[in-house]
Amino acid sequence: MKTVLASLLFLLAAEGPAHLDDPEQEARAQDLMREIRCVACENEPISNSGSDIAADMRERVRAMVSEGKSNEEIRAWFSERYGEFVLFRPSADGPGGWLLWGTPFVLLIAGGALAFAIRRRRDRSRDTIEPVAPEEAG
Amino acid sequence: MIEAGHFAAFLALAFCGFQAGFGLAGDRARSGLFASLGFAAMGFAFLTLIVAFARSDFSVQLVAANSHTLKPFVYKIAGTWGNHEGSMALWCLVGLGFGAAADWLMKSDRRAFEARALGVQGLLSLGALAYLLFASSPFTRLDPAPLQGQGLNPLLQDPALAIHPPMLYLGYVGYSFVFALAAAGLIEGRIDRQWARMARGWALAAFVPLTLGIALGSYWAYYELGWGGWWFWDPVENASLMPWLIGAALMHSLIVTEKRGSFSAWTALLAVLAFCFSMLGAFLVRSGVLTSVHSFAVDPLRGSILLFGLLAFGGFALVLFALRAPKLSGGPAWLAASREGAMMGNNLVLTVATATVMLGTLFPLIAEAAGQTISVGEPYFNLTFTPIMALALIALPVVQAWAWGKADLSSLWKWAAGFAGLVAVFWLAGIGPMDIPLLAGVGLAIGVWLLFGAGQEAWRRAKTLERLPKLPLRVWGMTLAHAGLGIFIVGAVLQTSGRTQTTLALQEGETQSIAGWQVRLDDVSSVEGPNWYAERATLTAERGGSETLLQPQKRYYPAARMPTTETAIHKTGMGDLYVALGDGRRNRAGETRWTFEVFFNPLIDFIYLGVTLIAIGAGLSMFGKRTKARPES
Repeated sequence: MKTVLASLLFLLAAEGPAHLDDPEQEARAQDLMREIRCVACENEPISNSGSDIAADMRERVRAMVSEGKSNEEIRAWFSERYGEFVLFRPSADGPGGWLLWGTPFVLLIAGGALAFAIRRRRDRSRDTIEPVAPEEAG
Repeated sequence: MIEAGHFAAFLALAFCGFQAGFGLAGDRARSGLFASLGFAAMGFAFLTLIVAFARSDFSVQLVAANSHTLKPFVYKIAGTWGNHEGSMALWCLVGLGFGAAADWLMKSDRRAFEARALGVQGLLSLGALAYLLFASSPFTRLDPAPLQGQGLNPLLQDPALAIHPPMLYLGYVGYSFVFALAAAGLIEGRIDRQWARMARGWALAAFVPLTLGIALGSYWAYYELGWGGWWFWDPVENASLMPWLIGAALMHSLIVTEKRGSFSAWTALLAVLAFCFSMLGAFLVRSGVLTSVHSFAVDPLRGSILLFGLLAFGGFALVLFALRAPKLSGGPAWLAASREGAMMGNNLVLTVATATVMLGTLFPLIAEAAGQTISVGEPYFNLTFTPIMALALIALPVVQAWAWGKADLSSLWKWAAGFAGLVAVFWLAGIGPMDIPLLAGVGLAIGVWLLFGAGQEAWRRAKTLERLPKLPLRVWGMTLAHAGLGIFIVGAVLQTSGRTQTTLALQEGETQSIAGWQVRLDDVSSVEGPNWYAERATLTAERGGSETLLQPQKRYYPAARMPTTETAIHKTGMGDLYVALGDGRRNRAGETRWTFEVFFNPLIDFIYLGVTLIAIGAGLSMFGKRTKARPES
């Protein structure tokens, strides 16, 4: 029992601030950690969470980054292991993905077109419009 | 005592009924009288709750569940609204307060219209009070009374969070009277320039505290959660952002209706939506349908009642809108390139941004119904909300000088060249020593662009230095708000892409460096407060010969069985050195190392300075000289 405890403590101590030496890799790892969700907490990315599992997940991210895995591969790995739930950046595939990612831009374009169309119907007197400076109105 | 408060709340319910009845029947004087009486009764009821909390009267269930004798006095008082029932009581109080204020302040010649607005406000307060008294009463007794309370969520034992809910609710519930004005105007079929003049003050009176309330919540999250950030796109944050965005759109749309009589139907719709989004916010936070780091009260049944209320009031208003909107008259004709067109662009972007926030917040629920569990977080909003808003911000300085009806576009190329030049400057600087990523460079350029635009517009209107102080308060308000937006953007961009984050593991006496600072751990000791105890690290940070002491804590509140972080923040002129204490771990040799999350957050105060300027600007423009109504043609 004592040896188990000792080796556990050793593991904990060994974990420490496992920063990657390459600043570019470390920055990439930190970006990824901000978009992977801790599975034990409420709505927290693993970059913020103090839970042990988040620490394990952070270590996993750093390990995969240093192995040279791409962001896509790392996201896919986490998604496969824990479900798509862990990705704060949901995939844009399938009808759901299209709906989620496309709607804002469709709304912007359609809304603009609609507003323009409504205005055009009223706009019969193009040449007679008198400009009024903002400070003079009202 | 609490029974007297309970009785007073029922009185307030009855007075609200009379306010609604007389108001909708067109009796301005009696409706107003009952609005004031209702406020007085509810004020007394709320006072009895505060007294019960102040005296730690644990025979009141709410106090027993949410307070503790050892809690500092200020937080005993603030505990009144730091829980579900108390916060709903606050909601009712604010709603009745706005009714009473409307009775005192509305002095137009349209008495029947004012009566109807008071009537609708009475209905809204009636709904809130009925929910309070029948579904979440704070006035319940507990027998036998426990000797000690269960404490308050320790995260709420904090000055910013003590005043955050009242501020937020002043905003949320302030929009209830804007809703009432829109409903009354729609009932009469008159959403005109005079209506907009009346509604504008109320819309600003809600916008200012809402802005400050959100800023306080964000600042609290910054120093209390220990994550180093200021906005997490958390559902509860989004819930407050949605009414704010609609409120910002409404503020601009109201100007068009006031000055030109145009956009009347659209303005009425926004006025209705602002309060609908406030109710949606309350529903999202209070029902617990979304998990969140800020959610403190969770109850599905109450959630469904709130949802019903939202659908009932929202549905009522939208039906009214559909019936009346086609009959509302528009103003004079205008071209796409005009002040009206610019305001339309502003409104389009702000409403699409609101829809985006709503979609991102609710999408996990929709997906869950379809059998998928997904998360939508910061990356989504950064790729949708942010570029859409950026479009409007780039256009703002250019279009704010445009004339009503038809704009003079001859200097458009100068503006385009100016912005391109600004981006180029930041981009070139980024390649060099400052090492700014391209997108951050564009972001900084937008911030500076807005600052420049705000100054330029004030100058264009004043034309000479002597006339600058004599500009109308409304123009000063606009200038400050737009400049504040620019300062906010600079702070937000720098914080997002320029901050450094490091995890340090230190033994006592050990030194490590981060962002030009030498950080030494002096010692870790135990300290005790009135209702908590903590481990407190003492660090010395040294840079360029000057030393500063940092004492982050990990607190534990035994009554609530909950740990919290107390960060240590050292403010420099250029940003915050921010330290949060993590765990202590002993290695095999028996040495203890403590982990610290250390951030350097460049110019983060710009975020709060900018938002405060937005609130001050909106506040100033409330008090501008009233423009005289011209005969409507």
